[in-house]
Amino acid sequence: MRNRAETLAGFMLGFALLFLVWHLAAVYLVHSVLFPRPAPVFWRALDLIEDGLLQEQVVASLRRILQGFLLGSAAGIPLGLAIGSFRPVRVLLEPWTEFFRFIPAVAMITVAVIWFGIGEESKVFLIAYTTIFVIIISTAAGVGAVAKDKLRAAQCLGANRWQLFMLVALPATLPFILTGMRLAMANSFVTIVAAELVASNDGLGKMLWDARLFMQVEDIFVALVTLGLLGFATDRAFRLAIRAFAGRFNPTM
Amino acid sequence: MALVRLEGVGKTFRGKGGSWEAVRDFSLALEEGEFCCLLGTSGCGKTTVLNMLAGFEPVTAGRILLDGQPVAGPGADRGVVFQGHDSLYDWLNALDNIAFGLRLAGMGKRARREKAGHFLRLVGLAGQEGKHPAELSGGMKQRIQIARALAADPRMLLMDEPFGALDAMTRAALQGELSRIWAETRKTVLFITHDIEEAVALATRVGVMTRGPGGTLKAVVPVDLPFPRERTSDAFMAVFRQVHALIHAEIHPQ
Repeated sequence: MRNRAETLAGFMLGFALLFLVWHLAAVYLVHSVLFPRPAPVFWRALDLIEDGLLQEQVVASLRRILQGFLLGSAAGIPLGLAIGSFRPVRVLLEPWTEFFRFIPAVAMITVAVIWFGIGEESKVFLIAYTTIFVIIISTAAGVGAVAKDKLRAAQCLGANRWQLFMLVALPATLPFILTGMRLAMANSFVTIVAAELVASNDGLGKMLWDARLFMQVEDIFVALVTLGLLGFATDRAFRLAIRAFAGRFNPTM
Repeated sequence: MALVRLEGVGKTFRGKGGSWEAVRDFSLALEEGEFCCLLGTSGCGKTTVLNMLAGFEPVTAGRILLDGQPVAGPGADRGVVFQGHDSLYDWLNALDNIAFGLRLAGMGKRARREKAGHFLRLVGLAGQEGKHPAELSGGMKQRIQIARALAADPRMLLMDEPFGALDAMTRAALQGELSRIWAETRKTVLFITHDIEEAVALATRVGVMTRGPGGTLKAVVPVDLPFPRERTSDAFMAVFRQVHALIHAEIHPQ
């Protein structure tokens, strides 16, 4: 309990320092209307929240992330397990994963918009696209990293193939799957902003773009800070989940 | 009839760098209820012998019979205790690790926990049932492995240098415990080690292997000493010297 309070206090102090450095930089280093101080950005954020505008953009972006992320995970985890478990599947699918993972989601925005328009579908597709390969690769790596003795011990206790998979390989791989999902979530933030910058009617990326068009520097910074805070919060949530579900699987996490 | 027969068993690994012979013409019969230690220098092939008997590796020459049937792959009739503790299930607590084989066999939760509890106490871990492997010491983890293997009630126990990674004090304590457990359960044991004192302290017979590669059985030394064994007694030292002389010739060939 004391540890958690200390961590929380440390985070608060860290954020306070970040804003202090920002403030000092704005006051003493960069004298420009293009680099606002934290205070006006904060007040602007409050205004936007009061009008309900900021929440709207946050909800729009987060909904797309969540839908695409769940879709990508739902497809990526079984594929990763199959690739890690069966050599023929790996040989067959590795060209796919190794091919597509070098075509970044950002490059796929063009075809996504052509195929699905600028609505929800293209965003969900892009998030699923950016999610699936990270999860496939980390899941397959996790299956490969299951200690040989764990499987052998189960065989000596009479495990059949199904039991080996469900009771040994799968639980042993879970920490890798969760870590893959955490990395994929970070990628999702990159992708959603890029997609919304290029083609969208709402979301934080669209907010950034509009603010640039109308030179609303404070709005740009509100969007940036919101992205940072959202990313930080989801990553913490993931780490807590990993610890809750997999802490005892892997004491180093 | 012997429980296990290894008849002219050989193992040659084939890889990119050519083939490599690990075990050559190895023959040994294990009687029901005996505690046989297989002793050899590192690289002599003793673990390969165990892996073939466990069914992890197929033989490339000769054959292995268990109850007269050729060994084909691993099975619940041969419990294995591994050297490292990688084989424990980190996500299960001590009791559920021990009950794992019973779970595989379809035993109900209550019955298997009750039976696992018996083996938990047998290996001296009463009170530790709720702990996960990460919270247990190296010696405790090896106790769990022994209990897990015994709980599945195999025909025999195969132990691959199970105490090799433990400190000297813990190792001596576990050797004493293992002797007691063996006396209680009378399981047939094949125990791999490179430690002469350990072999003489535990075994009813010590098989000494020639040095590798392509190791084979050099001699079998019976150890007719009562348990618990007094390691500083003259009789113990006499057997120790006999085995030592056999191993010494392998470490320092003429």
